[in-house]
Amino acid sequence: MSTINAGSEKTPKKGIYYGWYIIAAMFFVGVAATGSRMGFGVFVETWEKEWGVSTAAISLAAAIGALVSGVAQPIFGRLTDKYGGRRVMILSLAVSGVATIGLATVSNVFGLIILYGFVLSFVFGGVSPTIKGVVIARWFERRRGMAMGILMAGAAIGAMIVVPFLSYALIEFGWKTAWVIIGIVILVLGLPVLYLVVRNTPQEMGMNPDGDEPVTSESGEVEIIVRPVGPSYVEDWKKSYRSAPMWQLTFGFLVCGITSTSMTIHFVRWAISEDVSVSYAAFAFGVLSVLNAVGVFTMGMLSDKMQRKNLLGIVYLTRAVAFISLIVFPGNIAVWAFAFVGGVSWLATVPMTSSLTADVYGTRNLGTLSGFTGLAHSLGGAAAVLLFGLAFTAWGSYDVPFAIGALTLVAAGIVSLSIREKDHSVRYVQVPAGSALDSSEDGD
Amino acid sequence: MAVPLGVPAVPVLHVGEPIDPTLWAWLSDKIDHVLGLSPGVVVAILGTFIVLFPIVVVIFALRRRAEMGQ
Repeated sequence: MSTINAGSEKTPKKGIYYGWYIIAAMFFVGVAATGSRMGFGVFVETWEKEWGVSTAAISLAAAIGALVSGVAQPIFGRLTDKYGGRRVMILSLAVSGVATIGLATVSNVFGLIILYGFVLSFVFGGVSPTIKGVVIARWFERRRGMAMGILMAGAAIGAMIVVPFLSYALIEFGWKTAWVIIGIVILVLGLPVLYLVVRNTPQEMGMNPDGDEPVTSESGEVEIIVRPVGPSYVEDWKKSYRSAPMWQLTFGFLVCGITSTSMTIHFVRWAISEDVSVSYAAFAFGVLSVLNAVGVFTMGMLSDKMQRKNLLGIVYLTRAVAFISLIVFPGNIAVWAFAFVGGVSWLATVPMTSSLTADVYGTRNLGTLSGFTGLAHSLGGAAAVLLFGLAFTAWGSYDVPFAIGALTLVAAGIVSLSIREKDHSVRYVQVPAGSALDSSEDGD
Repeated sequence: MAVPLGVPAVPVLHVGEPIDPTLWAWLSDKIDHVLGLSPGVVVAILGTFIVLFPIVVVIFALRRRAEMGQ
């Protein structure tokens, strides 16, 4: 078996590789779509006053939205594998734009649950990082980790732009106009960018992944290069669950959901329980946010140079250290320990999990497979939010749930480190199409 | 200070959940304090970026495709 890297038929390149324009377009789509998702939090106080309802009632829409968005991921992932990410994203973004404008007409919590909790959250699945990651994975092979890292870091930076924009638009124009503005941004700017710039694969433009130029035969004809596949490549996505890496990656992402979503909900409550002020905690999380963007980019880039599973394992173990610091240190020290140690590991799991899935199973079913790992993330997160809350109510402390979180992270770290990447990944083992797992009917 | 139930709390989030309103209120106060700009000016600055960025991307991408003979 060959052990050379994928796409080794590299030839000199001219100009900027078109894949980077795809990433730039995806970045903007992320900014526009994320605005309508994240902007929700900006308007909560306004809705409370205007509609005379509690924060908990409004939060119900956000909670439903989180679950609906998780369930939507494998559905849109499957659609992406069948019809291409471009078509799925265009349709999802169009509905998202109309629904966002529609939010301006909502006058009660029930309308918010229907339009935000169900409609907007469902179509968000069509422009989620999962779907964008599928398209990017098809454009990049050797630099897949870095490309995914840039995409995720861009999403983090984009949030820093769009949330303040919505907040100040709310002050300047009122909440209804703010929603209309972001809806128009989606329809008038986001859709054309998707339509004009994004293509599903480099092959659609007569190119190869990473910008490798097509090989020309002696007669001057362009030869079609059959991309190499790994030994676990599957034509039928269900067969991927017969091999260990799919379960290992899914378990890791489940733990990722448990430990990240729980903290997004409970961090402030924990800070208050430790006599740490909200403003102090917010500043610490500001630091975490910056480290987050740096961490995801750095990890993505490094994962192209070494085994991704090692970095993935290290990231989970690093997050375990962050959780342990919340238990062993006093609150005002723990908040900073968590910000620094947790910050570098917060988003870094996403590009490495997506890239590793693509490396092992190929990109043909990547949408479906990433959709299911994303669903595991959402379900784990939803369960953890509930259980962390119940534990705090029962014991008046987060020590037990944090200890459980740390244990699950250690388990995820060990499981990730145990992935036999060199036996499964196309980066290390390339086999002729037809001799992969799909045809051998044999798993791990 | 009331802490909302079910609304995530991290300014830059993991998979695009809503931002926590309490933390955002604090952050926006800090931005106001540091920058001292009126809401209209902030909207104009960020809005300009939001409008120009996609236009620039489309122009450069189409130019690149023209160079490639697409």
